[in-house]
Amino acid sequence: MAVSSTSSPPMLQRWQRLNPFELASWLYGLIFFVFLYSPLVMITVLSFNDSRLTGFPLKGFTTKWYEAVLANQPLLSALANSIYVGLASAAIATTLALLMALAFRHEFWGKRIVLYMILTPIILPGIIGGIVLLIFFGYLGVRPSLFTTVLVGHVNWVLPFAFLTLYPRLHKFDRSLEEAAMDLGARTSQVFWEIVFPIVRPSVIATAIFAFSLSFDEFIRTIFTVGSDRTIPVQFYVLIVEELSPELPAMAVIIILLTTVASLLGFAFMRRADRSNPA
Amino acid sequence: MSRATPTASDTASVQPVGRPGWLLTPGLVWLLVFMILPVLFMVAVSFWSSGYYGTRPDFTFKSYLRIFQSPLYVGQLLKTLRIGLEATALSLLISYPIAYIISRAKGNAKALLILLLFLPFWASYVVRAFVWLPILGRNGAINSALMSLGVIDQPLDWLLYNEGSVLLGLVYVYTLFMALPIYMSLEKIDPKLIEAATDLGARPFRVFVEVLLPLSMPGVVSGCIMVFLLTMSAYVTPQLLGGPQGIMIGNIIASQFLSSNDWAFGSALSVILVLVVMLLFLAIGRKTKVEQIFTGGG
Repeated sequence: MAVSSTSSPPMLQRWQRLNPFELASWLYGLIFFVFLYSPLVMITVLSFNDSRLTGFPLKGFTTKWYEAVLANQPLLSALANSIYVGLASAAIATTLALLMALAFRHEFWGKRIVLYMILTPIILPGIIGGIVLLIFFGYLGVRPSLFTTVLVGHVNWVLPFAFLTLYPRLHKFDRSLEEAAMDLGARTSQVFWEIVFPIVRPSVIATAIFAFSLSFDEFIRTIFTVGSDRTIPVQFYVLIVEELSPELPAMAVIIILLTTVASLLGFAFMRRADRSNPA
Repeated sequence: MSRATPTASDTASVQPVGRPGWLLTPGLVWLLVFMILPVLFMVAVSFWSSGYYGTRPDFTFKSYLRIFQSPLYVGQLLKTLRIGLEATALSLLISYPIAYIISRAKGNAKALLILLLFLPFWASYVVRAFVWLPILGRNGAINSALMSLGVIDQPLDWLLYNEGSVLLGLVYVYTLFMALPIYMSLEKIDPKLIEAATDLGARPFRVFVEVLLPLSMPGVVSGCIMVFLLTMSAYVTPQLLGGPQGIMIGNIIASQFLSSNDWAFGSALSVILVLVVMLLFLAIGRKTKVEQIFTGGG
């Protein structure tokens, strides 16, 4: 960006020399984004299609599938379930991750082993992450439900991501205020609540929002632990497999919008956090 | 690192807030009880035996013998490995150029491209796998377009419910996990290196092969591991798009728990899958630190 005026002629030359290569990859990029977006555009178009059969030909414009989705009681309760379990798992995972990220600012014995333990839920295939809990809680006699088995599965899944987003942001912040407070004799809890937490709060909020959206989208661990409860992705899947219901495209569009809003919020908070707390 | 290094007395007198032992305890207890213990328990169950009355404690290799004596399960495992490799290779091929373009873009264009790349992946992968049904199906977009153009009279049935459609779905669902780490490692390359190579007369292709590619290798490695890992345990995509032909090991494992209630056998299959994944990590982990895989190749 900061190119001085003297270096701009060779810059121009270089662009001309790179042209065929650049051109080819830009074209490739265009195809890539068409590949990425055309299915989503298609599903949006189909969500307004006045036909009981999901697909073509288009038979006219209707918003009745959206009305059907918004009036569908099981769907609304699945939405409520997803929100509750998302909030709960975001709160638990962010708290645990924050504490561990604070611990990781110290040197301690076995740090690498602890790190591998934290990363285990990402390394372990998702389907296994669900199955181990199905077996474990099955033999413990815990009935599968939203706030027992599903919540545990979601916290497991979200925890490593929360740790990986929090840790670098806690590691790099300027510690002089914290040190000053300690030198002046502040208690540990004072240092944390009055100095450290206010500094890292934007990162914590961003992490919690990301954690929420990860939990909201979670399917594979949920399907094995959900019992007869329903979350949004599980309900959507059941509707595909059991009846290929005509309101699926409308539901897909609503799910996409909901998760996009949640994720954009997290993204915005993360940018703000990184800006107010530069490395 | 840009700060002046603190003196020894500084670091000795003022530790970061809190004691590591106390701070770690809640998270570690959670992981031990709800993650490590259940995994170990599943390994134990894989040596139990399943019957009409459920799965009972035992010590038998019956389940493992059943896996390796039947060509069905070994075949499915190999097929899953093959699909995983194919999906990884395809994603790499598709994602590298886009990662390159984004890394070369400037200012707002770059922010916009990153956002465009992220947006579709924020929607649940169940939704992103589902969207291919009304594209590839009998009355899907492709068939209806081809029929209205008069290219075909009857809808094509081979577009959906086979390995090809699973592969397409997997690449579509998981490409971000390839593009992102590659982008992050390309982003770290000092543009001066490219300028230097160009000024010394290297043609763009040579710059790519000798400068960009080797320096972006950490990103390529983490992207490949992530995509391979995710495809190896795929369940939703083959279930929705695969039909009987496109089924993968994840679907066979799931059916042991969701329909045939053979927990011992399902556990044994799961252990095999975990072992395959762990071997992969051990092989790669000798060269790359595991945490770098998830933070974009360091």
